[in-house]
Amino acid sequence: MKFRSPPMPSAEMDMTPMMDLTFQLISFFMMVTNFDQTQVDERVRLPTDALAKPPEVRVEHQLVVNIGYKRAKDGTRLDPQPFVFLQGEELRIPEYRSRLQQEARIYQAKEVNLNDVTVVVRADSDVPSGQVQEFIKMSQDAKFEKFTLRAQQPID
Amino acid sequence: MKIKQQEPASLQQQTTPMIDVTFQLLTFFMFTLRIVGPEGDFNINMPPPGGGAAKAEILPDIKVRLLADPNGNLVSLKLGDRQLGIGPGAFQLLNAEILKLVGGANAARSTDIEVEIDADYNLHFDNVVKAIGACTGRLGPDGKTIIRYVEKIKFAPPKTNPDV
Repeated sequence: MKFRSPPMPSAEMDMTPMMDLTFQLISFFMMVTNFDQTQVDERVRLPTDALAKPPEVRVEHQLVVNIGYKRAKDGTRLDPQPFVFLQGEELRIPEYRSRLQQEARIYQAKEVNLNDVTVVVRADSDVPSGQVQEFIKMSQDAKFEKFTLRAQQPID
Repeated sequence: MKIKQQEPASLQQQTTPMIDVTFQLLTFFMFTLRIVGPEGDFNINMPPPGGGAAKAEILPDIKVRLLADPNGNLVSLKLGDRQLGIGPGAFQLLNAEILKLVGGANAARSTDIEVEIDADYNLHFDNVVKAIGACTGRLGPDGKTIIRYVEKIKFAPPKTNPDV
């Protein structure tokens, strides 16, 4: 008599619930990720204030400038003087003057009125306020007129 | 002759590459996520260098003076000639005094009055932001809306660096 062997149970796992969950996680992370914050530098420890509300109307032209310190992992400053952090570059505040003039020329080449450009100062809490003022003065010399100081809302 | 029927080809799709990409995406978003408080801006009304054209002043500026020690810590907060002390209490007092001077929250005078922040060169920037926040207003009972006291805030002319 010929015996027929029963078919082997499938060893393949049902991946559908895992995929569902993974897609939900991706959707969550995509929604909470702020792609708008590409100009911010993590090294800058912003001052906190409860009144620092995000602007209701989006500013069309803004020049974000990050001023902060190079710090060790424990937070101690590696250099007593603050830097302007650019992407992959660090400049002393007076060295940024030529860049500001360059930025002004770029806006003018794009036919953007410098009155419509807001310079957003993202300065570290510990930066001397005199240096922030010196930076604003430098920006005024480059014909920028509008300034905002950025702060962070306290996290509850 | 017995013809053996061919087994149908499996219709199951290969999901391994999709799972690989999905996990890579998940890892990317997990690593790039930064949990930070929302950022907001304080507008600064900066007079042009050299003073510019003299404006017709309706009301005199409110002067807020912040004095620092050599390490940049706040040692004194003054509203005009009045000493308000140091610490969080001083900024609360400044907030209350500005409200009195303006004549109430969202008062018509709040658009005319200008506050001048005069800080020592080496004062830590967070003290300046606290002073600006205290002059700007306070949060409403819902914790979201801002009740504005003063619209215009400016800096006094910059001081020279004491270390130079």
